[in-house]
Amino acid sequence: MEPDVSMETMSTIRIAVVAVGGAIPAGRLREYAAAVGRHARVELSALASFYSEQQKSPFAHQPWDSGALRLRFVLGGSPPSPWEDFQSHRKILAVLALCHCPASPDLDIVAHHFAAACRPYPHALARRCFAFFPSDAQLREEKRDDIVLFPPSDVQKMEFHMLTMVQDLAASLLMEFEKCVLRTESAGTILKTPLDSQSSLGSEEVIKAKKRRLGRAQKTIGDYCLLAGSPVDANAHYSTAIELARLTGDVFWHAGALEGSVCALLVDRTGGRDPILEEEVKYRYYTVIQLYRRAFIQDNAQRVSTVSFELEAALKLARYLCRTELAKEVVELLMGAADGAKSLVDANDRLILYVEIARLFGTLGYQRKAAFFSRQVAQLYLQQDSASAAISAMQVLTMTTNAYHVQSRRTNPKLHAPAQELGTSHGDGKKMQPQSVVSLFESQWSSLQMVLLREILVSSVRAGDPLSAWSAAARLLRSFYPLITPAGQSGLASSLANSADRLPVGTRCADPALPFIRLHSFPLHPSQMDIIKRNPLKKEWWTGSAPSGPFIYTPFSKGGTTDNSKEEITWVVGEPVQVLVELANPCSFDLVVESIYLSVHSGNFDAFPVSVNLPPNTAKVILLSGIPTKVGPISIPGCIVHCFGVITEHLFRDVDNLLLGAAQGLVLSDPFRCCGSGKLKNVSFPNISVVPPLPLLVSHVVGGNSSTILYEGEIRDIRICLTNAGTVPVEQAHITLSGKNQDSVISMAHDKLTSALPLKPGGEVTFTVTLKAWQLSLADSEVDASRNSSSSARRISKEGSSPLLAIYYAGPSTNSDESENKEASVPPGRRLVLPLNVCVLQGLRFVKARLLSMEIPAHVSDSFPKPTNINQSSTEEDDDVQDKDGSLVKIDPYKGCWGIRLLELELSNPTDVVFEVNVSVQLDNPTDEHTPVRDYESADIRYRKTRIDREYSARVLIPLENFKLPVLDGSVFLKDSQTDESAGNKAFSVTERNAKAELNASINNLISKIKVQWQSGRNSSGELNIKEATQAALQASVMDILLPDPLTFGFRIANTSVEIGELGDQSSKNPIAAHEMTQMEVLIRNNTKETIEMSLNVTCKDVAGENCFEGNSATVLWAGVLGDINLKVPPLEEVAHSFSLYFLVPGDYTLQAAAGITNATDVLRARARADSAEEPIFCRGSPFHVRVTGTA
Amino acid sequence: MASTACFVIVSRNDIPIYEAEVGSVLKKEEAAHLHQFILHAALDIVQDLAWTTSAMFLKSVDRFNDLVVSVYVTAGHTRLMLLHDSRNEDGIKSFFQDVHELYLKILLNPLYLPGSRITSSHFDTKVRALARKYL
Repeated sequence: MEPDVSMETMSTIRIAVVAVGGAIPAGRLREYAAAVGRHARVELSALASFYSEQQKSPFAHQPWDSGALRLRFVLGGSPPSPWEDFQSHRKILAVLALCHCPASPDLDIVAHHFAAACRPYPHALARRCFAFFPSDAQLREEKRDDIVLFPPSDVQKMEFHMLTMVQDLAASLLMEFEKCVLRTESAGTILKTPLDSQSSLGSEEVIKAKKRRLGRAQKTIGDYCLLAGSPVDANAHYSTAIELARLTGDVFWHAGALEGSVCALLVDRTGGRDPILEEEVKYRYYTVIQLYRRAFIQDNAQRVSTVSFELEAALKLARYLCRTELAKEVVELLMGAADGAKSLVDANDRLILYVEIARLFGTLGYQRKAAFFSRQVAQLYLQQDSASAAISAMQVLTMTTNAYHVQSRRTNPKLHAPAQELGTSHGDGKKMQPQSVVSLFESQWSSLQMVLLREILVSSVRAGDPLSAWSAAARLLRSFYPLITPAGQSGLASSLANSADRLPVGTRCADPALPFIRLHSFPLHPSQMDIIKRNPLKKEWWTGSAPSGPFIYTPFSKGGTTDNSKEEITWVVGEPVQVLVELANPCSFDLVVESIYLSVHSGNFDAFPVSVNLPPNTAKVILLSGIPTKVGPISIPGCIVHCFGVITEHLFRDVDNLLLGAAQGLVLSDPFRCCGSGKLKNVSFPNISVVPPLPLLVSHVVGGNSSTILYEGEIRDIRICLTNAGTVPVEQAHITLSGKNQDSVISMAHDKLTSALPLKPGGEVTFTVTLKAWQLSLADSEVDASRNSSSSARRISKEGSSPLLAIYYAGPSTNSDESENKEASVPPGRRLVLPLNVCVLQGLRFVKARLLSMEIPAHVSDSFPKPTNINQSSTEEDDDVQDKDGSLVKIDPYKGCWGIRLLELELSNPTDVVFEVNVSVQLDNPTDEHTPVRDYESADIRYRKTRIDREYSARVLIPLENFKLPVLDGSVFLKDSQTDESAGNKAFSVTERNAKAELNASINNLISKIKVQWQSGRNSSGELNIKEATQAALQASVMDILLPDPLTFGFRIANTSVEIGELGDQSSKNPIAAHEMTQMEVLIRNNTKETIEMSLNVTCKDVAGENCFEGNSATVLWAGVLGDINLKVPPLEEVAHSFSLYFLVPGDYTLQAAAGITNATDVLRARARADSAEEPIFCRGSPFHVRVTGTA
Repeated sequence: MASTACFVIVSRNDIPIYEAEVGSVLKKEEAAHLHQFILHAALDIVQDLAWTTSAMFLKSVDRFNDLVVSVYVTAGHTRLMLLHDSRNEDGIKSFFQDVHELYLKILLNPLYLPGSRITSSHFDTKVRALARKYL
């Protein structure tokens, strides 16, 4: 069988093209052959000048104006066919030798070679030798007939020369054909085929052969007519031949003649194709096929077979009909032809048959059918044991890869274009229709693909093509590892390694092998390096441009915008960046990745390679790093991997698609999951842009970065040192607070930082932050596990509850190209988030607060009331109101006080250190018009320190006496009185609320003055937060604490009794003796701004509580008025009322003054909490002790 | 029962979603591959043929050597393909119809994504039983 047959094949003249002389460079030979091959059709009209009619031409109807000779150049020639007599076009009718003169200087040798080359072709009717690029010497030699020298010239000229030579050749062939025809007509040439039995020609057969000879001769003449381009003549001869063959029963020749007639028909009607012609051709060809089948003779089937002719005819017809409309008919023909393959003896014939069938199916658009037969061809090739057959097999198999969807990326670079689309759409939409997922894996016949790849691998190993072998093994391993046994996997790995050994170092392959690589994540900038987009319009440029919190995603941000836009990542020129990728080795051998690095197509990134070793069935997350080198966008589609000796590019997208398929059950296995790696959300590659260098602040806490351990309420300074580690100066910097417990930062040295700007590269600045440890609450603390052994587990603060310092800083805001887009030209700023690492330990624990009132009566003395010594300042506070001695408000707490309030704080110390508690009360000026602005510093009253040992508790008393306002003012009650008046008004609630607020304010004011400070050890000190507790304790009785009584009463011994003071030390303390008349005074001070009228009563009681003035057994005699004394006290002044007492019995007495206020004002009523206006208002002074000495 | 039979269900996306060697003769792996190659190649012909007739059973559409490919195309263009060497057309038709019913049941499973591989062992058992019955 012959390849590439068609119906017109019968009209082509076969010319062998051979190379002679010295070896011709392959490129040259190809060039020459192509130049010759271009002249496959020579017009008869062009031959006229070369043609000379020596005798009358047998081709009577030769179409000189429209006809043509068809030449077919067979490079290298072909062996003679046994069927040459049967079909003349199978003969080599001419020999064309090609010679490259520079390679063969001696033309004689060339001529010799040429003669030798012509010897195998006895039927050659014409011989030519074309010599190209002859040297000058060769040109100068005398002209030879056997060699045509092509003088060196330009391409066009050479083309023309070649055309002329080919036309000359064709003309001489035409003349030879004429001779042949005449010879065949006249002489009785015996035309034989292998079908005719050679040996014993019986007499009967000889007669038969004689009869047949005429028909066969007619057929041969027809063949020559066809070759000579005269279809009409051919048709005439063929008709005769058919008649004769039919008569003689020469079936085989009958079929041949019929075939020739169809060819003549087609040549005659060249170009035009109408249904009638087609029907005719079809009809005749089916007859041809039938005849060939009939010619099949069983007994010589072993030796020769006509099957090949039958199949060839079928293929010719199929080729003629090969159109999609007639697909069914063609398929039938081809399937019939394929069935015939079994009866073909020669393997080569079968090969050709399958090649032709595959080609025809391919033309029909049946790619899978074509692939199937191609694979059959490849298998036939593989049965031959030669390297060239293996190469052919490999090439044929490679052609089928498209149909089986296992093509190499190299052969089809556009292969992943649709995948890319799908990938991006998936990345954008996040949701993909399951149907379109399915379509990603269209036509995946895994078993077929595996077989095919294995065959490619085998053939390319045999063909000695290591790169193809590597590629096939890589595809096989990567796509089908779950279907391959561990031994098979190792075998593939070793074949990869073997192939790589034969490849030069650094070979690249388009098909990735292992490992599977997917993008894991982008490590966020460490909080020290956050990049913040700068808003040049705002002073606080960092606001509104970046997420403010530590959260990347906030559920409150607008959903639509964040989903659609990919996240953006900014990298900085010159600063190393990192990307996490996950590698998986799902196979059963150790995978050594010699180097892996990010593949960047944008060319502005230096990637650093790393080498990884992946044990069997493992996945690993590795960190790939690099440095951006230029400003601009960066795209990272995948990784470059150097593994198994070859460099490949692994795209993230491919693996993403694979994982998608695995998730839907369309792909065999998810390589990451089978390696035990968890399911990961598909990470789409963000847009990465590179910005010019930025400053970079590095911080450290002076004295170590470890966390500071503080007790609750402890105050500590933390010094923070910032260094500019970048290459650009810091020009703007701003500190803000964020995170939890922000109020624990008392002060920050902003100015220290701002004064250090601009901070040059390498510059350093240190500033102080004052911290006060916050109170631990149950929510943000945890039990210290290390102290479980002790009875009481103490609590420490949880991690992450410390406040954060966010330092926003930026380099120069102006760029050189300022003129253009201002917004874009502003380089971003940065944020340094610096957690103030504080570990708060539970310190002194506040148990409870109580308000105690102390009622110790004062002693009456001559100098009373006098200022207390310990609080000098408090006296001074009042000395503008009264003289020192006359101060009634301040009472020495150690000598006595009536109605003094004490705040008792109970504290316990659960820690293992000793605390010393120090209560101080800060006094500031009451906002009173009567009090001038003081010119001295705040007056703190410090009480004695209280020491609380570890795991003990203690109580601290805080006297609250110093908070009384000096004046009982209507303003305090203004609201109340208003309330009374406008009880029905709408304003009621408002004013009430105001009053409450005012009350709270005054309480807060009071509390803020009390500071409970503690100290522990040498350098821990702090303040106890008692606000809430005291507030609760004070809420009820704040009025009593803050407001003075409208009237204060005091008793003293009148100054006249000087002699009493001379009684000595003891008597000076107790100056009152029994049986003596004692002059006393009662002092009444009006604390209001209005004059108060009252009736005063003075009572004296003994220890038993009996009234001593009245009754049957009065023990005290008196002089002066003691009851119902009507007095009028002007505002803020005091009045003394004198009287004398005579004590009959020594002992302790209590003097007390009381007054009934007449015409009480609203203020007084409110103070007394009177319910009605008619109620009498009484005012009672605190009791005073009188110790009367002497003997009864 | 036929000595050689290979049954494949091909989804509309040309993915084999079910494969079974249902012949009585145990074949070598190489032969099984050849069966699949033949079935894969026959898809080209089915593709054209399916639109020329309203019948679901396309009878034998292709052959290679002595192996014949019979095809049944469902309304959803899922193709049930049988490679066989017997000529029992009626049995094949009944086989296809019953398998089609089984396939519909699979499709009705809300957890089954149309076009993905059929992994139900129940289905496999039933198909093999049908093959023994009809082929």
